[in-house]
Amino acid sequence: MSSDLVLPGQPIPIPRGPIPQLGTGVYAREGAVRASLTGTPRYEGPVGTRPLPRPPAPNSVVLGSITRLSPLQAVLSITVVDGVPLPAGEEFTGVIRVQDVRATEKDKVKIADCFRGGDVVKGLVISLGDARSYYVTTARNDLGVIFATSEAGATMEPVSWQEMRCPKTGKIEKRKCAKPEGL
Amino acid sequence: MAQSNFDRRRINGPEESFPPTFEDDEGEPSSLGWRLGQPRQGRAASDIRPIFLKAGLITQANGSAYIETQRSKIACAVYGPRQSKSTVYSENGRLNVEVKFAPFSCTRRKVPIRDAEDRSVAVQIHQALLPSIRLELLPKSTIDIFITIIENDGIDGCIAAGSVAASTALADAGIEMLGLVIACSACTIGKEIWLDPNNDEAQASSGTLIYASMPALGTVTNVSQNGRLTPDEAIRCMEACQERCIDIHAVVAEALLENAQQS
Repeated sequence: MSSDLVLPGQPIPIPRGPIPQLGTGVYAREGAVRASLTGTPRYEGPVGTRPLPRPPAPNSVVLGSITRLSPLQAVLSITVVDGVPLPAGEEFTGVIRVQDVRATEKDKVKIADCFRGGDVVKGLVISLGDARSYYVTTARNDLGVIFATSEAGATMEPVSWQEMRCPKTGKIEKRKCAKPEGL
Repeated sequence: MAQSNFDRRRINGPEESFPPTFEDDEGEPSSLGWRLGQPRQGRAASDIRPIFLKAGLITQANGSAYIETQRSKIACAVYGPRQSKSTVYSENGRLNVEVKFAPFSCTRRKVPIRDAEDRSVAVQIHQALLPSIRLELLPKSTIDIFITIIENDGIDGCIAAGSVAASTALADAGIEMLGLVIACSACTIGKEIWLDPNNDEAQASSGTLIYASMPALGTVTNVSQNGRLTPDEAIRCMEACQERCIDIHAVVAEALLENAQQS
């Protein structure tokens, strides 16, 4: 078993033929393919190690909770990147700008009618953003608020893509709801 | 009175401290009982101290390592990649190395306030590690390395062992690297070159050299020299270190493989 494990810098034997496209955990230098992580190399998928937390990159799906609202943007604290939870206290900050909330009628979006503090939001990273935060979008059917509590404190259930109802009081609150896949 | 920089948060030791004197130490030029011109005590000139290295000892860190070479003991923890706190956008990741001496690490008590010495050690280790890490894959992120010197027996040996421990901890943390960084120190005593000097030997030498490399790639990441060395001596030191780095690389590889199989 130990012969299968490679260490950073160790060359990986590649069979004759075209060089495969390199995934994460490997790099090419001076014509040789070498590992950059400790683990078992595979021909499909990255070098196998335990799932490691990664910083967000464009096109990664993130989960986070809303920490601050302003008329122009909602700030969220990203806690899960591509299904891998980040260690406690090492969250990344993301920003959902008003034009990134939904795909249509962008000029009519009011941030306060889409998110509230504490909501758990599923989003997609669109760019690395500025120095402080990543830009996140929810402009897709499967993206948006996935968990929210009402003013009464109960977990709300979605009734449409922009409304949620409190099961305790029956009150309707506005949110940009996600329609998760497989429901 | 220097009350202004009095540290209220910690238990402050006495203002003065003296290393304990043992009966058999007295009357000898050094604790080795060694004089110039004599061969090295305890080991051959090209021998290094035996290394104990274990990865993954600090559970709350992303990656960690502990290294012990006789009376040098160093613990290293790696956190990150985490979000950079600085306000400037950076395409590449940042590497942040902090070195702390335990108060009891040296013969004289170290005040738990950062001074010039731990910063210069941190700079050396930072320099040794920097070329090995693929920081271009981690935009806007920081990797924090915290090194605690628990016992210090020769600062050159500590820098070398600290670099090895940090590289092991980085590999344990799953941070992408071009190769493992291995460092070794050397000093000149008379005409001889002694590898991995301890504190007494480094004090007695005319010059010391620290050599950091990636043996897997055959590249050098950092060389630093202290004291007086002729160019010829420096080259001979580097050659001797280079050879020994390959042996240390095997020790690191073994520690990492053992750790990888357990998890």
